[in-house]
Amino acid sequence: MATIDLTLKIWRQNSPRDKGRFETLAARGISTDMSFLEMLDVVNEQLTLDGREPICFDHDCREGICGMCGAVINGRPHGPQRGTTLCQLHMRHFADGDTLAIEPFRARAFKVVKDLVVDRSALDKVMVAGGYIAANTGSAPEANATPIAAATAELAMDAAACIGCGACVAACPNASAMLFVGAKVSHLGLLPQGRPEAARRVLAMVREADRQGFGNCTNVTECEVECPKEISIANIARMNREFLKAAIASRER
Amino acid sequence: MTKLDAKIPGGPIESKWERHRFDLKLVNPANKRKFNAIVVGTGLAGGSAAASLAELGYNVKAFCFQDTPRRAHSIAAQGGINAAKNYQNDGDSVWRLFYDTVKGGDFRAREANVHRLAELSVNIIDQCVAAGVPFAREYGGLLANRSFGGAQVSRTFYARGQTGQQLLLGCYSAMCRQIGTGKIKMFPRREMLDLVMVDGRARGIVVRNLISGEIERHTGDAVVLCTGGYGNVFFLSTNAMGCNVTAAWRCYKRGAYFANPCFTQIHPTCIPVHGTYQSKLTLMSESLRNDGRVWVPKNPGDKRAPGEIPESDRDYYLERRYPSFGNLVPRDVASRAAKAVCDEGRGVGDTGLAVYLDFADAIARDGRATIERKYGNLFAMYEKITDEDPYRQPMRIFPAVHYTMGGLWVDYNLMSNIDGLFVLGEANFSDHGANRLGASALMQGLADGYFVIPYTIGGYLAGTPLSPVSEDDAPFMDSARQVTERTQRLLSIKGHRTVDDFHRELGSILWDYCGMSRNNDGLAKAREMIRDLRAQYWQNVLVPGRGDDLNQSLERAGRVADFLEFAELMVEDALARQESCGGHFNEKFQTAEHEAMRDDENFCHVAAWEHTGDGSAPQRHTEPLAFEHVHLTQRSYK
Amino acid sequence: MSWLVGTFGTAIGKKLFMSVTGLCFCLFLVGHLAGNTLLLSGADAFNAYAAKLQSLGALLRIMEAGLIFFAVVHVGTGLYLFYQNLQARPVRYRVNASGGGQTLGSATMPYTGVLILAFLLFHLVQFTFVDKGDAGVYALVAAAFAQPFYVGLYILAMAVVGVHVSHGFWSAFQTLGMNHDKYFGLLRMGSVVFAVVLAAGFAFLPVFVGWVA
Repeated sequence: MATIDLTLKIWRQNSPRDKGRFETLAARGISTDMSFLEMLDVVNEQLTLDGREPICFDHDCREGICGMCGAVINGRPHGPQRGTTLCQLHMRHFADGDTLAIEPFRARAFKVVKDLVVDRSALDKVMVAGGYIAANTGSAPEANATPIAAATAELAMDAAACIGCGACVAACPNASAMLFVGAKVSHLGLLPQGRPEAARRVLAMVREADRQGFGNCTNVTECEVECPKEISIANIARMNREFLKAAIASRER
Repeated sequence: MTKLDAKIPGGPIESKWERHRFDLKLVNPANKRKFNAIVVGTGLAGGSAAASLAELGYNVKAFCFQDTPRRAHSIAAQGGINAAKNYQNDGDSVWRLFYDTVKGGDFRAREANVHRLAELSVNIIDQCVAAGVPFAREYGGLLANRSFGGAQVSRTFYARGQTGQQLLLGCYSAMCRQIGTGKIKMFPRREMLDLVMVDGRARGIVVRNLISGEIERHTGDAVVLCTGGYGNVFFLSTNAMGCNVTAAWRCYKRGAYFANPCFTQIHPTCIPVHGTYQSKLTLMSESLRNDGRVWVPKNPGDKRAPGEIPESDRDYYLERRYPSFGNLVPRDVASRAAKAVCDEGRGVGDTGLAVYLDFADAIARDGRATIERKYGNLFAMYEKITDEDPYRQPMRIFPAVHYTMGGLWVDYNLMSNIDGLFVLGEANFSDHGANRLGASALMQGLADGYFVIPYTIGGYLAGTPLSPVSEDDAPFMDSARQVTERTQRLLSIKGHRTVDDFHRELGSILWDYCGMSRNNDGLAKAREMIRDLRAQYWQNVLVPGRGDDLNQSLERAGRVADFLEFAELMVEDALARQESCGGHFNEKFQTAEHEAMRDDENFCHVAAWEHTGDGSAPQRHTEPLAFEHVHLTQRSYK
Repeated sequence: MSWLVGTFGTAIGKKLFMSVTGLCFCLFLVGHLAGNTLLLSGADAFNAYAAKLQSLGALLRIMEAGLIFFAVVHVGTGLYLFYQNLQARPVRYRVNASGGGQTLGSATMPYTGVLILAFLLFHLVQFTFVDKGDAGVYALVAAAFAQPFYVGLYILAMAVVGVHVSHGFWSAFQTLGMNHDKYFGLLRMGSVVFAVVLAAGFAFLPVFVGWVA
């Protein structure tokens, strides 16, 4: 089993009000089969035994689907590997002696809570604004009553794969959340079940994203590259289209 | 030992639920807004319950420990959700789903509950499609299905390899809508640390705000617990890191009965353990067994690379032992078979604790593109973790702890023995008996949340006189004080071992003695080891930091403290159940072919444990199970 | 009215302004380049073209007013977006790296935009708001580009325009919602080709004129 030694320059911040600073820590004897978070576990165990406070970081499923983990590694959200969450990033992608700068996702809409933990509730608020299909329990028609072309269902699924981790915001030079909003608008808007509310949804979600303080999309496409689920910016275009249609042609205000 | 009343309605099984719904008292629409329901956990059960109750007009307070309700571990379910739609015209029916589930559970589930589950399965698919779940479809636009273990029909609906996430997003978005209307008040990053009882009824909870450390008190007219399973007691499992037994255990300590805690599911297809630092195990969906073939070398110690082992030297042991179900036998059977071949020294990989799951034939038959479309994301995940390409060489897999069939005891209304405490989803014990079939957990969570609790909670609230309570009442204050004291105690020990270190040791005790196979000596030994470890824990655990801010070590410390208590009950239950059934395999009770051998005469019942005080032995109650429709037989998948 | 602000004041609304005005400028640049190629045909042809343009009278004034209005909208909205985008990340990263999404164009849009504005003002002062005398506009141009400094400056400016357009062109379509599997690659590549042709075309003229002169 190969092991490597690393130097971590890691962001430490006690609370949202604290100014925060980088701390340099050594991570020694790291197995290359470990995931990035397991590497942090090992560092934390040592910090604990040394009587210091371990690094706070969000994580849960550790199989790349819950969207809870995430940090910026050497300037790259979720690290350097494409289509991979931090929990699925393995240490074999780093070399012995590497120095890793580890920072939280940064955006005005994502306040740092502690160390690498950020508050992403702004994304929930965007969802509350309209990220749903209003279908009360019990009122659903027979599932096969409305056929949906496989290609359309696949497109919707491509968008629905979003895990809400916020890496798109972290990667965007403008801290824009448009890949997230675009994915949601696309997922629901592509399905016939989601059409009745489509115009209201896109207007409400885009406005709410603005209110939450996310930046504006300038089509830099860093989001698409860093998205661990490789969600396409075609979804942003689809949202733009939907928005234009809603703004000009629909009766929604 | 008292016999528990499950309040199963009378009459023919096909119409029990319909009649029961009619018999349940109703709360009129105007009165619903006067009731407050607390929903703990926002997975499929909790999310669907919170949304459905809010749609009905109840005021809902929903709690989860994650930063948003959308991250609950239901999200990680990969393969699919069963429903008796019979879209494939292959002979499925509500009755067959009912039959398969009872049999798959090795006759330790309640028939009436399972039948209701099978009935509701079809409504779930309708509801999910209406909510925008992008299930896989045929080119013509109709819904597609695949097969799962323990069934000979294709009744599993799926959304690539992320069905759980898509279903959860359906619930979460329904919740979002109700958060928007103000009917749901969402409390994320809260961990439930106590159940508050007033006049013998569940009337609230005490939670810790994980960000501020504040101990908060919340009142309600009913508490709906949807907090998932306790698989993480094994330290290594396919559960998320945060999954825990604490909420359920706190209810147990307030008087709720814990049923069948020894029924744990070991899932056959997981990526094998590869190091001591490992924090969790990763499941490879059971759906892979649709196309993958499981095999090991015929001869012990055959260290050749898989590609160099000719067909004649391979043993496709599932196909050999179970010709009619083949690779799609139920999970408990597949797991034990894998253990058996590894015990014979025929396991593969460095540790010898793995078997091959081979797609070569499927790729040759259907082409790589087809396999990629079906399982691409799973293959990619496998490659990320193991650095091996499953398109070129077979996957190595091994069983791992995945799901827990045991849970808080509930009656037909999903209410525990504590009035006003409802338990839904994996957190209860009800529908899967001693072994759960694949793609049935999602079904149960959603059935409970969408279609059972909306009726039964009304029946309870309409028929129960509830006095007003305030969070400043003595029971709430007392509970909050106890919770604070416990937190302070954990912080003040300042010992020399970390929480994870204890947890890892607990896990290995359970895996060795209360895992895939168990024996009485081992279980007795484990009980002593757990007691010792628990005593050490309270003297020597090291929890850094403070209680008044985000302290992840403290969160884990509380959970592990409860696991250390719970583990003993689990072992106790395994010792008391002197038979083998489903996931509980006691080596003393097996057939000549090494299959689990039940003792229907003495153990055809649910065991429900009552807490009798710290340091005193828990009391075992039973609920007899009657099998009137699916006749008790030795399970056979041959 | 409030819905109008609530719609076109959003992130996407503002981008729509950028997109539409930007595309108009692209169109203008094509026209401008086409006209300017008459420089290649010598003084008479170019002066005649200039005179023809002037003879349009009111129509020309309207077009100029339109261009100024578009410029105000494009620059104003652009600056506001730039300001907002800076605000959206108050604490910057210590290490910045690209995953490969951004291009020279996309990463520098606000800066190239401001440079183009500065160049534009200079350009107008040099060739438009100036007494052209009797010799005609060609002489003015020829005199300027006889000096290598101006040739260099114009080449540099056209490079900046090229970089700006290389992102702006496809980005405008994306903002308008035009993104299609089949044509997207073509659009992205076409955007770069368009920018290069535009920039090279404009940059060639000072070189040619200077060389002839």
